[in-house]
Amino acid sequence: MNDKKKKILLVEDEKALCLLYEEELSREGYEVTSAFDAESALELLVNGSFDLIITDIRMPGKDGIELITNIMGLRRDIPIIINSAYQSYKEDFMTWAADAYVVKSSSLEELKNKIKELLES
Amino acid sequence: MIEPFAFLSARFEKDVPRELSVLSIISQSFFKPFSVEDNLLVILTALTSGSGVGFNRAMLFIRDGDRLKGEMWLGPRSANEAADIWEVLSTPGIGYVEIIEHNRLLVMNNENTLTHRIKNLTFGLNQEKASIPSLAAMRKEILLVRDAANEPAVDPRFREIIGSDEFLCIPLVSSEEVMGEIIVDNAITRRSINLTDVRLAGLCGLLAGNYILTSRLYQRLLDAQKMAAMGEIAMFVSHQLRNPIVAMGGFIEQLLRPDLPEEKKLRNLYIIKDEISRLEKIIFEMGHFLKISLKEPVWFKPWDMIDSILNSPDISTKAESHVLDVKIDRHEIEIFCDPSSFGEALRNIIDNALEATPPGGCVYLRGYPKNKDWFTVSIRDTGRGISNPDKAQLLRPFFTTKEKGLGLGLAFVKRVMDSCGGKIDFRSRLGKGTIFHLTFPCRQVKGAEEKT
Repeated sequence: MNDKKKKILLVEDEKALCLLYEEELSREGYEVTSAFDAESALELLVNGSFDLIITDIRMPGKDGIELITNIMGLRRDIPIIINSAYQSYKEDFMTWAADAYVVKSSSLEELKNKIKELLES
Repeated sequence: MIEPFAFLSARFEKDVPRELSVLSIISQSFFKPFSVEDNLLVILTALTSGSGVGFNRAMLFIRDGDRLKGEMWLGPRSANEAADIWEVLSTPGIGYVEIIEHNRLLVMNNENTLTHRIKNLTFGLNQEKASIPSLAAMRKEILLVRDAANEPAVDPRFREIIGSDEFLCIPLVSSEEVMGEIIVDNAITRRSINLTDVRLAGLCGLLAGNYILTSRLYQRLLDAQKMAAMGEIAMFVSHQLRNPIVAMGGFIEQLLRPDLPEEKKLRNLYIIKDEISRLEKIIFEMGHFLKISLKEPVWFKPWDMIDSILNSPDISTKAESHVLDVKIDRHEIEIFCDPSSFGEALRNIIDNALEATPPGGCVYLRGYPKNKDWFTVSIRDTGRGISNPDKAQLLRPFFTTKEKGLGLGLAFVKRVMDSCGGKIDFRSRLGKGTIFHLTFPCRQVKGAEEKT
């Protein structure tokens, strides 16, 4: 791994989950920036550079699927992981545009593995 | 000039052709909120009323799988009783509701009624040597029996029960299958059954068959809707529960690490405590919404309830930072609703209005009679307003615009209003605010007219 920390943009409206993910992913050596809604995520994307995006789907205002559509028009090179409490959104074909779909779980192992896999490929 | 006519007459029409009279009687059953049993009774009434087809007696079998089961038998047991019944039915001004009420007593299942004699009677529909009435149902044909004593297809057991030699079997045919059968006779007057009788009875059979089919399909639709709603609820609940559980699990995971600094241990415990309260709140609200079976509406004066909601700690605390402007016309009236549901509904709407309005803003509550039959409570806020796409979904369960709402408040209000025959409507403009109108049935308090 090179010295420069990989940057992750986390889009999640649950404040407690943001805090948990920030701490856990920092422990893995990533730099995490959180956005509580899609609008502020898009602002951060325009002004900053990120190596990976993790997004929830159900959020107040614009939902995760709309966010992915917007990101597709903006940047196509950043891998996206959907992290939702719902299994069923997999049926929405727009979620296929994401690189991975991880259902929320109290063990963050699967999410961490997917991040690693996508950043190393 | 425009002349209006009512679709249905509430009275038996005596001076119209029999065909029209039968249609008129049966049509009532599709409009009146009777039960399926009552509506079938209406059809038997059409078959036996003098102004209808005019048979003496009519028995009804309902199909249950591969057999016909005796359900009810309408008619007099003797000539004397026949005279009594016909006297009742020819009372001037008697309407459908009274006649159905009268006939309901006649077909009740107790030892003295005709119904009791056929209640345990069944006929198989897949026998090789089928007897009447199975034969009519299996062949989907109206069968007229002229001489039951000498007819081999007539089961001796059935002949003993019906006790007459001439009767007509009408299978209740629907577009899908045979739904049952009606058997009519003229055991009292001994009048011979003619071709017009057969035609009219056939018409009743078709209507009854399709009515039974429609009511069964409707029941299936209701069941399917219930299942779909349950699925939606299950999905929503699993999502609502998952977020706090994931957070708790993650922070507990951290607590189990030996190197976690002391201050973080305490912080994690507080986060877990908060998430537990959130779970409790979700479970409480879900249970509250799903379980409460609304109580029957009653007539009551709503003033005390309105005052107690406005003075309740949760509303008055929230209202401290707002201007809450209340004007209620306290007339001598009563509204029709379950008082505690009324209070809950009002609390929900006021709560939403206060939450939507920024501190310092105004919330207006008005109560006024719309006319002599309706009383309206209006709540207007000066908050953010509701967008057009949200308006369409606003009253649906689980729809919310709040960050941590379950979306059950307005769905509950809608349920309350439906249960008392009232109305909920709203108007809203983005950035300007929203006004909700809850309109309840109302009436003058007895004795108040004399006083005023």
